[in-house]
Amino acid sequence: MELELGLAPPNDAGSCGKRRSAEAFGVKKPTLPLFLRDDDDDGDHGNGEDDTGDARDCEISMGNKRKRLVGWPPVKSAHRPRSNSHVKVKMEGVPIGRKVDLSRHASYHQLHHTLRLMFPSTSHHGDPYAVTYEDVDGDWVLVGDVPWE
Amino acid sequence: MGRGGARDGAAAAPPWHSLPDEVLEHAFSFLPAAADRGAAAAVCHGWLGAERRSRRRLAVANCYAAAPRDAVDRFPSVRAAEVKGKPHFADFGLVPPAWGAEAAPWVAAAADGWPLLEELSFKRMVVTDECLEMIASSFRNFQVLRLVSCEGFSTAGLAAITEGCRNLRELDLQENYIEDCSSHWLSYFPESFTSLETLNFSCLEGEVNFAVLERLVSRCRNLKTLKLNNAIPLDKVASLLRKAPQLVELGTGKFSAEYHSDLFAKLEAAFAGCKSLRRLSGAWDAVPDYLPAFYCVCEGLTSLNLSYATVRGPELIKFISRCKNLQQLWVMDLIEDHGLAVVAGSCSKLQELRVFPSDPFGAGQVLLTERGLVDVSASCPMLESVLYFCGQMTNEALITIAKNRPNFTCFRLCILEPRTPDYVTRESLDAGFSAIVESCKGLRRLSVSGLLTDLVFKSIGANGNCLEMLSIAFAGNSDLGLHYILSGCKTLKKLEIRDCPFGNKPLLANAAKLETMRSLWMSSCSLTLGACRQLAEKMPRLTVEIMNDPGRTCPVESLPDDSPVETLYVYRTIAGPRSDTPDYVQIV
Repeated sequence: MELELGLAPPNDAGSCGKRRSAEAFGVKKPTLPLFLRDDDDDGDHGNGEDDTGDARDCEISMGNKRKRLVGWPPVKSAHRPRSNSHVKVKMEGVPIGRKVDLSRHASYHQLHHTLRLMFPSTSHHGDPYAVTYEDVDGDWVLVGDVPWE
Repeated sequence: MGRGGARDGAAAAPPWHSLPDEVLEHAFSFLPAAADRGAAAAVCHGWLGAERRSRRRLAVANCYAAAPRDAVDRFPSVRAAEVKGKPHFADFGLVPPAWGAEAAPWVAAAADGWPLLEELSFKRMVVTDECLEMIASSFRNFQVLRLVSCEGFSTAGLAAITEGCRNLRELDLQENYIEDCSSHWLSYFPESFTSLETLNFSCLEGEVNFAVLERLVSRCRNLKTLKLNNAIPLDKVASLLRKAPQLVELGTGKFSAEYHSDLFAKLEAAFAGCKSLRRLSGAWDAVPDYLPAFYCVCEGLTSLNLSYATVRGPELIKFISRCKNLQQLWVMDLIEDHGLAVVAGSCSKLQELRVFPSDPFGAGQVLLTERGLVDVSASCPMLESVLYFCGQMTNEALITIAKNRPNFTCFRLCILEPRTPDYVTRESLDAGFSAIVESCKGLRRLSVSGLLTDLVFKSIGANGNCLEMLSIAFAGNSDLGLHYILSGCKTLKKLEIRDCPFGNKPLLANAAKLETMRSLWMSSCSLTLGACRQLAEKMPRLTVEIMNDPGRTCPVESLPDDSPVETLYVYRTIAGPRSDTPDYVQIV
């Protein structure tokens, strides 16, 4: 499956099909739960996440599937099922795109970090990028709604 | 040698004070283990000097524990060096990109101070094409390059090595991430080059020129190890084997051809010629019909790595059951309990077993239970090292395993679902793991999983007298668990912990312990910044690194003491704090 990711400055709602309202950018934290927590974990794990609601929502929708945790079970990526995990990434206003290997990242955090390294931007220091992708229906969706895998 | 002095009545100097350095150095050459050489060096200044000047092999287990220049200055005669970088949990994606562990400073220092260097090995480090170019041009007798779990280089860098290292014996690339620049790196070996003994490019994604490979294999008569990548199809493997029947170790390439009887015959004939083959591995999306082509080598095999093979069923089991001399077996859990029962009955010389999960994230049926491990540990008297991923476990099984195999040196059990209890009694697995550490007095490496309370750590702390490496995840109830470990486990070197309710108190109470260890990793625990600051202040010879959300860029100095710490990585060092931290790492 050919996947394309697009980066846009936060105020530009035009590039994002499914989430047109400005609220989507304001309310939604750009970073996502590093892992899905069990109920008995305390809420403050120091991973920078204070929006536990998202984590719970993800747990509920998981159903029978094992909860997806970063780095668990401890298998090297070489031992994970292989797939073509390279995606093209283009940033608005930048003519040349890049390629990112998703299988070398274990979380949205890491992906954001890599994208920040690939597309450094001084004018948006401190502001998060909006990372979007084009899904199977051809809509532009904000990255991070679904669990990392 | 000074004995005459005693008869004179004058006090005789101990004989060893007058030994010339060359004699000392010769004596030390019989001490292969670095620990023994280190002990010898601690005897007196004379021995210190003689030992360090004659040290030939150097292993730097943490690239930040010492500065490269200092290491090179201290041991000027080194011919073989190994340097390791990122923490172990980097293998599982817990360390974001650009963390550090650059090989460049080590290559530069070596180029300067070790012109006679012959072997270089890097593990979990960033190795650039420039590094490889520098290696190729700096050491006239360079022979062995081993890169394990590294990244940052491309096939262009490999071309520099193959072109420049005229005496290369081993090029061993294990599980690296290599950019494919389509530079024909293999072609850069000169036609006159024949010294290759090991060639492992199994982790390379791209194509290689097969004709070039075939010519290389033909002329390197000492080639013992050949590990191909996925781009080499089965029929080509057969051709290569005919050119190199002396191979001891083979990693097959792609193994998913449709069945053709003439290809089968070709393979069978090729393997029949390989009388020395002892180690076999490969990415076998195998058609089981081809497995019998390997039957003639089964009896000679000591090592079989099928951990990338999705082959399953009776053909797999029949194949393994013929490997009566197997010492090392790596498989997927597709072998299932009944497959392991066959292994138990057939492979009486088994020393190491690793069983990997074929479906790590799925909710598929439980393929492997405790039964498989119980059978193998009951019937394989030489089994001493286990890595086992399974879906369920009981205390009874672990107790049985412990009783059967007190000779375990490495026991790593990973129950796939965190905090899974004994599935029969619903109790914690404290009793089972306690039995393991109580029985296996020589245990050096342990990974625990499943539902565990602080009590198991009390047992590990008290009984883990040889334990060097301990991995803990989703376990324990309180600070006490960590305290038991840090106040016990006398020989602990590496401790890695994730998602446990361990906090500041045991860390600070056992600060001195951390200097006796190589490193400590704690992520998603209950640590706060204040304790890390205190630790750093108390222990100047430790580097205390905090890792937080890569999105957060505010400096750690401005944060209050009670800020939570997501990841702590502490290690002893004589080099002071490193200067190459990315923005998401702060040294406290």
